[in-house]
Amino acid sequence: MNSGRSWLTALMFAFLVGLHFTVRPILDWRSGIDFMVVAVLLVAVRVRPGTAALVGFLLGLIADALTPEAFGAGALAMTIVGFGASSLKAAFFAENVALNAVFVFVGKLVHDIVFVVAERRLGGMTLLTQLVWWTPLAALATALVGLLVMTLLRPTLERRRT
Amino acid sequence: MPRGARTDSRADTAIAIACVAVSLLLLILPNGARDRTAAVIRGTVVAPLAAMQERAALARRAFVDYDSLVRVADSTIRRSQQLDAVAAENARLRSLLGLGRSLSWGFVPAEALAGRGMGDDRTLVLSAGSRAGVERFSAVVTADGLVGLVDQVDATTSVAITWPHPEFRVSATSADGTAFGIVAAHQALGVDGWLLELRGVPFRSSLRAGTPIVSSGLGGIYPRGILIGTVIEELRSTAGWARTYLLRPAVRPSDITSVMILNPERNAEGVESVWAAQVESMSKRVVSAGDSLQRRQRDSLAAVAARADSIARAARPDSGARVVRPDSAARRSPTDSARRP
Repeated sequence: MNSGRSWLTALMFAFLVGLHFTVRPILDWRSGIDFMVVAVLLVAVRVRPGTAALVGFLLGLIADALTPEAFGAGALAMTIVGFGASSLKAAFFAENVALNAVFVFVGKLVHDIVFVVAERRLGGMTLLTQLVWWTPLAALATALVGLLVMTLLRPTLERRRT
Repeated sequence: MPRGARTDSRADTAIAIACVAVSLLLLILPNGARDRTAAVIRGTVVAPLAAMQERAALARRAFVDYDSLVRVADSTIRRSQQLDAVAAENARLRSLLGLGRSLSWGFVPAEALAGRGMGDDRTLVLSAGSRAGVERFSAVVTADGLVGLVDQVDATTSVAITWPHPEFRVSATSADGTAFGIVAAHQALGVDGWLLELRGVPFRSSLRAGTPIVSSGLGGIYPRGILIGTVIEELRSTAGWARTYLLRPAVRPSDITSVMILNPERNAEGVESVWAAQVESMSKRVVSAGDSLQRRQRDSLAAVAARADSIARAARPDSGARVVRPDSAARRSPTDSARRP
């Protein structure tokens, strides 16, 4: 990854993190868009798995700081998502934009499953509702945003690559 | 797999495992330690992000609360409008209280009862009657001046005619006592119907606009000194032996809510001191307005005279103005100018 693309990716990463702390509270949806997952996936496909895991961990830690009851759960979920996405990017992160959306959808799904299991707050019917209903909805919304980001970013990255 | 790539892969795995281990450690931390760690992160790295989130939450609340805030603003505006009326009422009551203090004794306070129908604006039902000591033909006043006269008295209420009534009459004088006349309602249609007339003023007595008119005390009904109104202008009269002036009443019928009914004993004692300050300040205003008018007339006359003077000076032949004389024009012939180098 050349320095121009690195800067652009970093900028987009920061922008997405910013959106997570500005747009998400304004929307305040039950199944909200997780801009942080999109940010981690955006970085994960461009760096080594170890770096992706570290970025995911740090980002999860930042998110956890604002929800102390689940402190560590977000970091764990993001680490797994980052490492997994970076390791599987060759297999799943294709040139096809629609496949990228599926990639984001699965990433958010995995993140939420790990998170709710790790935080041990939900149980029984509530946990089931969260995993069967709210998490897929949130993953869908996040995937749409991921699709938008990839679509916007792809021409620039490709132009720089050539 | 090359050795370098294998080493990198191991390093990646090690980093990932370390991150997972730390995450699990954080998950099982005791509450105190966990909170302290979270607080440190919140106070450093997350602080600007938390501030952004706070702003976003506030923005959302402002957006969500907009409709209810508009409703609150609307009701506040409505209340503030009501407050204006309450404040005006308060001021009126205060002035009435001041009037009560000035009168000290010999009056019955009363309220003008609401619910008057159309066409009843020339009479007033008052909340005090004979039980309170009200007698027929007692003067009705407010802090602003004369309202009218008690016409009928019941046990608990009384009916007064107000100054717009066709039968209302009061002997009046200018505040300085130079002009006397009879004040009655100005019988005209429209807005002018809510004005008064000062009739029968001797032709030698001229009154300026703004001059306060008070009751003269003649006739025994109204004591001397009750403010009736102020002069607006002189009305054209066909009879040449007396002047008639149009007056602006001191009390507007729409403002009459609380009144004082004067007792006959108080009439006999006089009430001149009650409205004295008000009348005096009105008189001063008239005098100062007259002075400034005179000054302005004097200034404009002086300016006209100066302009006429300068025109006359300019028109004189020996003035400093450059006048071309015929002989000098003749001297400047074409041959003369051709001779010049």
